[in-house]
Amino acid sequence: MLPLALTVLAGPLGALALIGLVPPLRRSGRPAAFVAIAGTAVALMAAAALAAPFVTAAPPAPAAFELVWMPLGTVPAIPFGLLVDGLSASMAVLVALVALLVQVYSLAYMAGEPPSSLGRYFAYHALFAFAMLGLVLAHNLLQTYVCWELVGLGSYLLIGFWFDRPAAGRAALKAFWTTRLGDVGFALGIVVLWSAAGTFTFAELFAKASSGAIAGGALTLGMLGIYAGAMGKSAQAPLHVWLPDAMEGPTPVSALIHAATMVAAGVYLMIRVAPLLALTPAVAEAVFAIGVATALLGASMALVERDLKRILAHSTVSQLGFMMAAVGSGGAAAAYFHLLTHGFFKALLFLAAGSLIHAFHTNDIFSMGRAVRAMPVTSACFAAGALALAGILPASGFFSKDEVLAAVLAGGHPVGFAILVGTAALTAFYIGRALLIALVGAGSGASREAHDPPPAMTAPMLVLAVPALAFGIAGPTVSRLVAAPEEHAPVVVPILGTLAALGGAAAAWVAFRRGALEIRARGPLAPLIRALERRWYLDAPFEWGYRVLHAGVFRGIAWLDRYVVDGAVNALAWGTWGAAGRLRAIQNGRVQDALYAVAAGLVLLAWLAWGA
Amino acid sequence: MTAPALLLVASALFSIGLFGVLARRHAIAVLLSIELMFNAVNLAVVTVAWSRGWLAGVVLALFGIAITVAEIAVGLALVLLASRMPGRVLLDELSELDG
Amino acid sequence: MRDAAFWSLSVLLLGAAAAVVTARSLIRAAFALAGSLLATAALYLLLTSPLLAAVQVLLYTGGVLTLVVFALVVAGANEPAARFRKPLPAGMLALAVFAALASAIGTLPAGPGVGGLESGRDVGLALFGDYLVPFELLSVLLLAAVFGALLLARRERAS
Repeated sequence: MLPLALTVLAGPLGALALIGLVPPLRRSGRPAAFVAIAGTAVALMAAAALAAPFVTAAPPAPAAFELVWMPLGTVPAIPFGLLVDGLSASMAVLVALVALLVQVYSLAYMAGEPPSSLGRYFAYHALFAFAMLGLVLAHNLLQTYVCWELVGLGSYLLIGFWFDRPAAGRAALKAFWTTRLGDVGFALGIVVLWSAAGTFTFAELFAKASSGAIAGGALTLGMLGIYAGAMGKSAQAPLHVWLPDAMEGPTPVSALIHAATMVAAGVYLMIRVAPLLALTPAVAEAVFAIGVATALLGASMALVERDLKRILAHSTVSQLGFMMAAVGSGGAAAAYFHLLTHGFFKALLFLAAGSLIHAFHTNDIFSMGRAVRAMPVTSACFAAGALALAGILPASGFFSKDEVLAAVLAGGHPVGFAILVGTAALTAFYIGRALLIALVGAGSGASREAHDPPPAMTAPMLVLAVPALAFGIAGPTVSRLVAAPEEHAPVVVPILGTLAALGGAAAAWVAFRRGALEIRARGPLAPLIRALERRWYLDAPFEWGYRVLHAGVFRGIAWLDRYVVDGAVNALAWGTWGAAGRLRAIQNGRVQDALYAVAAGLVLLAWLAWGA
Repeated sequence: MTAPALLLVASALFSIGLFGVLARRHAIAVLLSIELMFNAVNLAVVTVAWSRGWLAGVVLALFGIAITVAEIAVGLALVLLASRMPGRVLLDELSELDG
Repeated sequence: MRDAAFWSLSVLLLGAAAAVVTARSLIRAAFALAGSLLATAALYLLLTSPLLAAVQVLLYTGGVLTLVVFALVVAGANEPAARFRKPLPAGMLALAVFAALASAIGTLPAGPGVGGLESGRDVGLALFGDYLVPFELLSVLLLAAVFGALLLARRERAS
């Protein structure tokens, strides 16, 4: 099992090393792309082989491999290791699969890029795949954190891939800073847990926590810190502000990173530490409450958005809120199931959106239209993804959303359950709106000559459409993967969920069936809609904070840097300069001055021998 | 006449020679000062040999004298060489000693 | 008697040495050096090493003095206007070295020497017995020095 697990990591890492270290390969563009794709394909095959035993009726025991990484003297050494269990192996399959499909898709989508930047793009992809797989397979918190930051770096690089666009640069910075804000908490949480338990390893942490060896306060504090990190990565309110802006990156990147995998890392981490979360009910409550709020917030903002990618980004925020709500109410298996289905259908939606954007050369849904006839494959794929997102039978989203709602209800949160059902209706409404306006409506772009993209782009969409529609039947298998007991939800849950979804979809049909019909900011709802368009004004505090930081703290730091740090460096330089001027006298090539040193050395030796 | 007294005389001789080596400008004067220092060392060697009755000290002093003579021959040859360049027998103007 | 001879010889030795390092004229310095070497030879006699004293006079004093005077004649005395460069730090450092050596000597036990150090015969036997190899190597060294000096001092032929 260890060789397989190492192969999973070695594929993308080898591709990264090849592309990164061989400049001609990187500059050649497409060959570099094939190297990256081959690396990811190797990882996918190894991950599939790794996961295969776990979906059988008698799964093997989780296997952990570790090496001493940092010996620390008296305290236990910090290990480096891989943990292979049902959760990590199946997640690795999802990551590798989506990464592979997105890379193939990118071959066509990014074909217009110059070769050297295409090489750079695929190098970033290999870096991201390696980091994400490392995060998934990590068997301790410290290693998770390292890969976590690497994933963040990959995200930063890819959002800012078109670095000559100021908006992309700003969005990359915003994503980086916002997620860093959470990562500070993550780092502190790791340190707190380590000082309380003396270990970073998940298994040991679980054992010590369940036997009560970790003080309750420290455990709560540590879990809060870890959750702060997950909030940043998984775009939980109020740290969700970076995700819509991250859509400045290339669309395939959004599909891979900002929908299917990286933003799911926070949820994955919370699922991973679910045994600890079960021991800290206060933190679990917070996870649940923030998750519900995020779900509602994201869905509401998607209602009025015009940018297709941003609609999907808000929807991602909302769906991540669903998952977090499930984790917080003790339904880790449900959350994981939803994570997997969401990974499939959201990646599908993004790839289809990319095809639309590619065909219409715009992100604005009102500038698209009548795509059904012109782009049948894309439209079908988008519709499949939308069906899954809305949670309408028989698409996969129906099953996973059903499990999430059931878990929330079982966790004893009727109010949260009601809000989430309402949010499900909103979800069906906004995705129905996007679908009707962009695909059916008669927008300004309707007359354009749009057509389906080349097979390199349609093939990944078609591959993703299969699990997006049919993965729902895998629910019991997923429960087995995370070793959760199979629960049977009360029959009212699927009925309510379906009613909400159909209601939302019907409302969208009524409102938008005649094509482009915008909700006008008029009437009693006007202030609400304006607030939604401004994304609840939530970006403002961050911008204000950033500006205040910039004006105050950073200017102070700049002053400190210029006059104190630089001053010290300059003083050192001038001191060196001056001393050199004086010391040069020693090296003047005059034999007698050298002899001074010899004589002085003699005196010094005598003083050492007899004087002291 | 005791060994320490003799050694003190040798030390004084050595220090005088050192002063000459450090302070004189003319290369030949420096060579002469070096001879003083060699002589001081020889005197110290013989004094120790005398106080302990070691014949080996005398042999060492003989060797020292021979080596000194060889050294001064080479040193004077260098001075001659330098003197062919105008004004280059003043050590403080010879500043090409590197490494 | 011996003490009186020792002290007067010491004064002579150090005075001549001071003259070597301070004399304005290099010829005078050379002769002062000869004086101090001779005083040392006399001290060797007091130290019961007559052979060493003889060698000192014949080889060292005679040879060195001849060489130096010869070099002065060939190279020209062309004495600089200033004898010294930075005499004050040099003097202080020389004093410090003397203090260091004297403090080391201060730790030695005082006492008269064993005396009766050598006869010429003993030294000869030692040189051609125990120390034969170094002695012969010394001859190689002297030969090398002669060649080296010739090579350095030889005028380049215009060719």
